[in-house]
Amino acid sequence: MLIALVLMCLALWTSNSDFLGASNVVNTTRQVSMLGIFAIGIAFVIITGGIDLSIGSVVGLTGVIIARVSSTQTGGLGYPLWIGVTVALAAAVVVGVLQGLLITRLKLQPFIVTLGGMLLLRGVSQTIVDGGVISMGDSSLLNLASGGLLHIGRDPLIGWPLVIFGIVAALGAYVLHYTVLGRYIYAIGGNRDAARYSGINVDRVELLTYVISAGTAGIAGICYAAYIGQMSQQVGVAYELYAIAAAVLGGCSLRGGEGTIFGILIGASIMRVIDNGINMFQVQYTDPEGIRKIWRLNPNWNWIIVGAVILVAVILDQVVHMVQAARRLKEAGQPKPVAGPPSGAPPEGAKSPV
Amino acid sequence: MSEVPQSETPLLRMRGITKRFPGVVALQGVSLSLKAGEVLALMGENGAGKSTLMKILGGVQPPDEGEIEIDGKAVAFDGVKDSKGNGIALIHQELMLAPNLDITSNIFLGNEGVKGGLLGPLNRPKMNARATELIARVGLRLPVTIPVSRLTAGQMQMVEIAKALLTKARIIIMDEPTSSLAGAESEQLFKIIRQLKADGIGIVYISHRMQEVMDLADRITILRDGRYVGDLNRADATHDKVVAMMVGRELSNQYFPEKRERTSTEPMLEVKDLIVPGAPDRASFTARKGEILGFAGLIGAGRTELMEAIFGVTPALAGSMKLDGRDYMPHEPRQAIDAGVYLAPEDRKRHGLVLPMSVAQNTSLPNVGSYAAFGWLDRKTEQEVAENGVKRLRTKTPSIKQAVVNLSGGNQQKVVLAKWLAMAPKVLILDEPTRGIDVGAKAEIYRHMADLADQGITILMVSSDMEETIGMSDRVVVMHERRLKGVLERHELSQVAIADLMTGNPEARGSLAPKAAGESNVAAS
Repeated sequence: MLIALVLMCLALWTSNSDFLGASNVVNTTRQVSMLGIFAIGIAFVIITGGIDLSIGSVVGLTGVIIARVSSTQTGGLGYPLWIGVTVALAAAVVVGVLQGLLITRLKLQPFIVTLGGMLLLRGVSQTIVDGGVISMGDSSLLNLASGGLLHIGRDPLIGWPLVIFGIVAALGAYVLHYTVLGRYIYAIGGNRDAARYSGINVDRVELLTYVISAGTAGIAGICYAAYIGQMSQQVGVAYELYAIAAAVLGGCSLRGGEGTIFGILIGASIMRVIDNGINMFQVQYTDPEGIRKIWRLNPNWNWIIVGAVILVAVILDQVVHMVQAARRLKEAGQPKPVAGPPSGAPPEGAKSPV
Repeated sequence: MSEVPQSETPLLRMRGITKRFPGVVALQGVSLSLKAGEVLALMGENGAGKSTLMKILGGVQPPDEGEIEIDGKAVAFDGVKDSKGNGIALIHQELMLAPNLDITSNIFLGNEGVKGGLLGPLNRPKMNARATELIARVGLRLPVTIPVSRLTAGQMQMVEIAKALLTKARIIIMDEPTSSLAGAESEQLFKIIRQLKADGIGIVYISHRMQEVMDLADRITILRDGRYVGDLNRADATHDKVVAMMVGRELSNQYFPEKRERTSTEPMLEVKDLIVPGAPDRASFTARKGEILGFAGLIGAGRTELMEAIFGVTPALAGSMKLDGRDYMPHEPRQAIDAGVYLAPEDRKRHGLVLPMSVAQNTSLPNVGSYAAFGWLDRKTEQEVAENGVKRLRTKTPSIKQAVVNLSGGNQQKVVLAKWLAMAPKVLILDEPTRGIDVGAKAEIYRHMADLADQGITILMVSSDMEETIGMSDRVVVMHERRLKGVLERHELSQVAIADLMTGNPEARGSLAPKAAGESNVAAS
């Protein structure tokens, strides 16, 4: 996947040198960062074999809450920004806890619980903004999206979202790859029963993954609020699908037990580079009449290309798995008996001592 | 061919059937014949190859060698459909009905007889009428439009038979049909079987219940260790004779460690009046310090369920247990593990191991939290523990980083053992410790078990392998139909004594009075 990502970037760069231009790089890394933050969160859930469809709505909800609580514009309550951020993050965590409890205590299916959560929270966001838009005005929150470290001209080389993403990724990698909790998460995804028989408190670990998922969605929600500035119920629609796609492209299996933070990083990058690439990709050619023209991708193909990339990726992954499995079986099994049973009926009257 | 009188050509003949699985020969040159209108009982211990033979007949698996003839004509099945087309119906022990669909749909499932493929219209009234006819033949009077989930186990069995009748099956295989039936339902089933027999249908009847077999069968074919042992006509068959043929091999002592005298009478695990979910009676027994206590019984005798209650997987509903003198009642495996009770489950792959994970990761799984500081994994300690486990049990693996999915069954079992031995077991529950493991590895595991018992660890060993039960156990608890049937002391151990108890012979030696099952166990001898 890393190779695919590099190839994609190279192709885009050769077709359009603006791809590596300062403003496009800053913009694309910001997009990658914001997606990556909650893609890492959902990876925790996916690795245990669960799913969280509600995170797009959580992204929207946190943004809307910040706008409602802290905006000084119409519809906002004008409290200090830190209160809005705290309330929003708390709401995200509460959502994670509640969904996690429903899934682990009542043994409800994660798909259904988080589908319900997704729709319900979307409605809550809509109610909070009363179906309209709350502007963040010129709130200092907006600096979160536009500011950063190491400025080149107007643009920061390392935007705050990238910094946050870096922290989340480092923490995620630490927890997932270097702690007991991470080990348990993989064990549960690999074999839930064996994990339980080994004395792991499966319910508690699973609950935690849903909290992590919703929590990172909350953090991402704050970034999106800063980036978009105009909060409506539309913020974050379908983001959960982007995150799932990023996780799967990054090597997570929806069956659980597989995936790495580094993989998610690559997956999220691919998703965003595709998005960006559809706008950037161009081929210059000279038509028969000798006029130089530029061919671009039809923007209507956006979803077709995104969908196709995901399908091709998982197909390749599955084929590799099947080939490996077949090879293992061959190595494990003894050589097939030479004399198999006759495949058809033997000729009539063959020796049959009746 | 047609000169041969019809009556003398067996309806079915299987000859020289051999089936190998990686590492095991499940069937070796097995033969069987069945006449029209005959009930043939197929008997043998767990693992004797009965089910494999029937799966071959049902087209579920192809044989590696051998011939199948129907009406004297050789046939080869390419899948279940082919077998069905030849008039064979296989009724599995776990019924294969869709509980959400109604009786009619189940009877016709896969056999709708509709023109136009998958989009062909179903003729419901006609199907219902035919289904009503068919279930009447098996003695059911029910509306055929009720979902199967609302039927009793016995009624479901009848629906399965009706399904077989729809396809005009001439050979019906029943695998332990009465295992889930109540007495009256079994009677009804026997009536139907006799009726089918009168209609000229040949029936292969697999059962462990001697009484049923004696009542129903015209002939008994006995398998042992994947080989054909012999046939008995009903007139010649006695309970003892059949048991002797089923278990009759010589005990080969070579790979069991010599039994040391374990004299401790100190109790380690005292189980008193434990009510295991689904069991009809309270269970009581005592396991002593440093003893190997065997648990014998047929599949479904409730041994695994009892062990899972002791390990806290499915907590007991009532009763009490004492571990090393202290009260013990786990509601979660974690509590059992903290108390020093560990389980190596029957189904290693499902419950014992995380297959994609490495040897080291599996070994450390239950204990990794205790050698971690602030949640940080201590990989060094983890690797040391795993290396020790590999060395101690002589696990054959290229490295401790190898995923356990790539190890053989015996080595996988060693990883399960290593994971518990890395901690401090008081009671080690081994459910079918050597299932699917080759002979060499078995001997090693036996030696380790004996060593552990010598160190004072109590081992509860559930085993369906008679040889192993007798070869390894200091005492044996025998279960039958989810009840504790008896406790055999060391000097009483014999295949016949165990087989008698586990097939429910009421006069068997060592048997407990049915009601006082709680009392006598400890003192017996």
